Amino acid sequence: MGWSGVGATLVGCDMPSTVTIEEGKEEVVSYLVPEEYVIPGVGVWYASTCQQCPSGCGIHGRVREGRVLKLEGNPESSVNKGRLCQMGQAGLQAHYNPDRISKPQIRRGTSLVDATWEEAYGLIAEKTANISGSKFAWMTGSVSGHQSVLLQAYLESIGSGNHFVHETINNAIWAKVSQDMLGDSNPRIRLDKAQSVLSFGADFLGTWGSPLHFSTEYAKFRTSPRGTLIQVEPNMTLTGANADLWVASKPGTEGALALGIANQLVTKLGLSMSGLPNSVQSLIRAATIDETVTATGVDAERIADIAATLKRRSPSVVLAGASAQGHEHGYQSVAAAMVLNIILGNIGETIESNGEFAYAGMVPVSGNTQSLVAFSQAAADKRYDVAFFAGVNPVYTAPESLGLKENMANIPFKVVFSHFNDETTAMADVVLPLASGEEDWGTHVAPYQAGVGEISIQQPLMEPLSKDTRGFGDILLTLLKKRKESAYEGFADYYAYLRNAFATIPAEHKNGADDDQFWANVLSAGLLDVGVKAKSLKVKGVAFNMPKDLGNSSDMVLAPSARMGFWDGRHANLPWLQEAPDQISKVVWDSWAELHPSTAKKIGVKEGDMVKIASASGEINVKVYIYKGVHPDVVAVPLGQGHDAGFSRYAKDRGVNSLSILDPKVDKMTGELALYSTNVKVTKAAKTDDILVRFGGSETQIGRKLVSTVPADVYERTEGGDHVA
Amino acid sequence: MSLSNLVDDWSRYRKGREEGGFHDYEHMWGMSIDLNKCIGCNACSVACYAENNLAVVGKEKFEKGQGMHWLRLERYWDEPDLGEERTTEFQQHGASFLPMMCQQCNAATCEPVCPVAATYHTPDGLNAQVYNRCIGSRYCSNNCPYRLRYFNFWSFYEDSWPAPLQMQLNPDITVRDKGVMEKCTFCVQRIRTVKDKARMEDRKVRDGEVQTACSQTCPTGAIEFGDMLGMYDPETGVAETKVTKMWRKHQVELGKAKQNKQTPDMRGYRVFEFLNTDPCVMYLDRVREV
Repeated sequence: MGWSGVGATLVGCDMPSTVTIEEGKEEVVSYLVPEEYVIPGVGVWYASTCQQCPSGCGIHGRVREGRVLKLEGNPESSVNKGRLCQMGQAGLQAHYNPDRISKPQIRRGTSLVDATWEEAYGLIAEKTANISGSKFAWMTGSVSGHQSVLLQAYLESIGSGNHFVHETINNAIWAKVSQDMLGDSNPRIRLDKAQSVLSFGADFLGTWGSPLHFSTEYAKFRTSPRGTLIQVEPNMTLTGANADLWVASKPGTEGALALGIANQLVTKLGLSMSGLPNSVQSLIRAATIDETVTATGVDAERIADIAATLKRRSPSVVLAGASAQGHEHGYQSVAAAMVLNIILGNIGETIESNGEFAYAGMVPVSGNTQSLVAFSQAAADKRYDVAFFAGVNPVYTAPESLGLKENMANIPFKVVFSHFNDETTAMADVVLPLASGEEDWGTHVAPYQAGVGEISIQQPLMEPLSKDTRGFGDILLTLLKKRKESAYEGFADYYAYLRNAFATIPAEHKNGADDDQFWANVLSAGLLDVGVKAKSLKVKGVAFNMPKDLGNSSDMVLAPSARMGFWDGRHANLPWLQEAPDQISKVVWDSWAELHPSTAKKIGVKEGDMVKIASASGEINVKVYIYKGVHPDVVAVPLGQGHDAGFSRYAKDRGVNSLSILDPKVDKMTGELALYSTNVKVTKAAKTDDILVRFGGSETQIGRKLVSTVPADVYERTEGGDHVA
Repeated sequence: MSLSNLVDDWSRYRKGREEGGFHDYEHMWGMSIDLNKCIGCNACSVACYAENNLAVVGKEKFEKGQGMHWLRLERYWDEPDLGEERTTEFQQHGASFLPMMCQQCNAATCEPVCPVAATYHTPDGLNAQVYNRCIGSRYCSNNCPYRLRYFNFWSFYEDSWPAPLQMQLNPDITVRDKGVMEKCTFCVQRIRTVKDKARMEDRKVRDGEVQTACSQTCPTGAIEFGDMLGMYDPETGVAETKVTKMWRKHQVELGKAKQNKQTPDMRGYRVFEFLNTDPCVMYLDRVREV
C-alpha cells in the first residue's frame, strides 16, 4: 500500500493485531507469501477523518484485500464518538464514484481536454510566474490543519491575502455575534447540561455547527431529567421534527420574537436585564406582548408559555441558525437570541468557552457566504488574473443574481481542484483531479470541539483508484516547491511533510515515545489531543437595533433550507443519498416545494402538482409536497438538486437549485447572504410526466400503534433517575 | 426435507412456548429501539446499504415500491396517542420517526408459508433467508405484517454498481439476483465473524461484541442490539445483557401476544404484538412535552 513505513496498531473488531513494515524496503514477492497486513478474508480497520462536510468527524475504515468497504465513526474522536451520519457513510460512494475525474484537464478553445500533470503544473507556473499578489485569489471551503498551513504559505509566496473561504451552510453570524457579545466566536454549547433549548432555526441535529456531535449530546439532553426542545423556524428541519414544541415563524421575525420573550422574562417573570446596554434594554421594554404578537403572528399565550418554560427549565440555552440569520437584519436576530442567553444566565452555565487551540496556523478557517459576494464583486471589478478553487462549487452555490458566472469570465486563468466535473470545473482553464478522502493524507482540526484540541489524522485507506489523481496536500507542496524550492525541497511528498511535522511536535505530546512509535500511535488512534488554552467568556454589552419593517410583503418567502444529506448540493452525485428518502418529506431522487395546506388550497395545487416559484431574480418549476410543517407565507425548497448535466449521472436532470433564484440581499452588519429573505410569487404550473416519488404510503398512523407517544411527565415518573445507559 | 424443517421449526417454537423458554437456542438476537432518542436522521438506513450490498434501484423502480431498504425510516405526522384532536394549524410536536427493520419474529408469519423452506429460524433466533433456495414465490412477503421483505424484481448488479462502485461490495455476503427475496439479517455476517473469533479464542461471545451496522452508527445510540438469552460475563458475574436489561426494565416479555405489565406506563412495546408474531425488536415510546 501507499504508505510503507507505517507501523500501526490496527484497530477494529475483526482481528486486532500489530504489524510493522520495514522502512524503505521493497521486494517483489509472490502472493504465496502474502503481505502480513493483508490476511485474506479478514477486515482491518484504519483510522482517518471524514471529508463529507467540514465537521471533521473521526472515522474507521474497514479494509479487506486492499479495498475499503465500510466506514464507521472513530470512538476515540470527541467530535462524533464512534458515530457517523448518512453523509459520512456515503463517503465510500464519493470515493468509488463512477464519475470521478481521473486526469488533469486543460482548456483548449472551448473545451477541456485531458492533459498530463507536467503540462498542468507548467501552465500554472507560467501564469503565476510574475503575478502580483493582489492579482491572485484562492477560494476554498473550510480548511484546517497542515493543508491550511501550506495554503497560507502558498498565498504568502505569491504575496496575496486574497483567501476566500466559502460555505453555504455556515454559522458565520452566530460566530460574529458570539465574538462580539461573549468574546469567543465558537462557544461551547452544553446540551448535556441544558434543561431546555430554544432554537431559532438552528438545525443542530442536521446542519448546524457539528451535527453529529450535537446528536450525541442530544441523547444526553433527552435522558432523564429530560430536556425540553422548542424550535422556531419557517419550515421544519430535522431538529424541528424532534421538538416538543414546533413554532412556525414568519421569516425575519425571529429576532422580534426573541425580544418579546425577553420582555416576558423581564416584566412578568422577574429576571434582570441589567448589564445589557441601555438601547437593548429599551428594545426589550418596547417589545411588549401586543407588539410582539403583531410583529410575529405568534399567539400571546404561546409567547408567555415559551418564556415560562425557559425560566422553569433552567439552565436553558438559546440558539440561532440559518433561517434566523438569513435576513438583512440577520445579525440583529441572532443578537436578540444571544440576549436571551444573557438574561437567562446561560453564559458560563450552558454556554462556555471551548478554549483556544494552540497552533494558530492549523486553526480551522470556517467558510461563509460573505466571501462569495466579495469574490463575485472583485471578479466583476476585474481585480484578479488568476484564481484557484478547491473544495467549493461557487457557480452552483451562488445565486444567479450575484452574476458570479459572468464575473468569473473576467478572470483570465482559473484552476479548479476537484473530484468531479461540476458547474465550476466547467468554467476552469485547468482542472486538477484530487485524490478522494479515502486516498489522501491530511490533518484536520474540527471547527467545533467540546473543550479539547484534537488534531484528526486523515490517512489513505487504500491505494488510489487512479494513478493520475493527486492529494490536495501533495499538489500544494508541488506548487510551493515551484515557488520556493529551498524551503520545501526536503519533503518528497506531503506524507513526508506531515511525518516531519509530527516529529517536530513538542515532546510533551509524545508521551515518551520515540518518533516512529509516536507516529504509529497517532495513526493508530487517528488523532492527537494537543489540548487547548483555557479561556473564559466575558459578556460584553453590544448595542443593536431591530428594524420596524420585518418584510411584511404580501408575497411569499422562499426558504432554501439545507438538509443533512445533499448538504449544499455537493452530495447529489451519491446514489445512496439520492435513494435515501428526505427525513421530512420522504421524497427521493428529486426536488420538491413544501407548502402549507392552506397555501396549497389558495394556489389550487395538490401534492405532486407543479408550481412556478418566481422571484425578482429568476424562476423555478418544482413539484409540491404539502404538510403542516411550514409557515403559510413560506415556500421551502430544500437544497441539493438542479445540477448541470456535467456533475454526475445520478444528479443529472434532477430537480431545481433554489439558491439560483435568490435575490442578492445581504445582512447589513456582516455582509452574509440573506438566504431567507427572497420574496417570491407561487403559481400553479403545468404538470409534466415526471412525478414526485415519495417513500411511504401513509402520512399518519391511521390509529395503529406504530410509534406510540407518552407525555414527558410519565417518562419522568417511570424512568427518572435510573436510566439504563 | 422442507416439510420436516417446517415441522421441526414449528414444534421447537411450540415447545419453547409451552415450557417457558427458548432453551435450545444458542443465541437469540434482539433489539431495543428508544424512540425518545431516535431523531430520524437516516444514518442507520444508509449504514445498512453500505454493509449489506443493498441495491440502489432508481426513481422509477422506487416509485413502484421496489426499493431495497432493509432498514427504512418511517415518518408519521399527527400523534393520536397524545389525545388531542388534530385540527391545529401546524405539526406542533414535530414528527414521529420509526426505524423499521425485520422484527426477527419468533413466530414468524413468513416462515410457514414458504413452499421451499427458504426462510427458516436459525439456532441464533434469526429469521433467515436462504437465497439459493428461494424460488421467488413471494408468499413470505405477502404474509409479513410489517412489509419488511424485499423482492429482487430485477438483476441490479450492473445498474446499481457501475465500476468502480462494485469495489465497495462487502465480500462477506452475497449480491442477490433477480427472483430472490431478501431482508434484514441482523448483520448475520458480523455475528458470524464474532462467533468464529470467540470460538478460536475458546470463549463465549461477549455482550456488545456484535454490533449491527445500524446500531453501531446511530448518532444518538437509540438502537441497542444484543442477545435476548443473556450472556454470562466472567468478569462482572452478570448474565444480563444490555438488551435483556432494557426488556426487563420495560416489562416486555417474549412469547406473549399481550403484555401484562406491573407498571403499565413503562415505555416498551412491540409493533403488532397482538398478531402473536412474537418480534425480537422492542420499541420504547416516543416522548413529548405536552
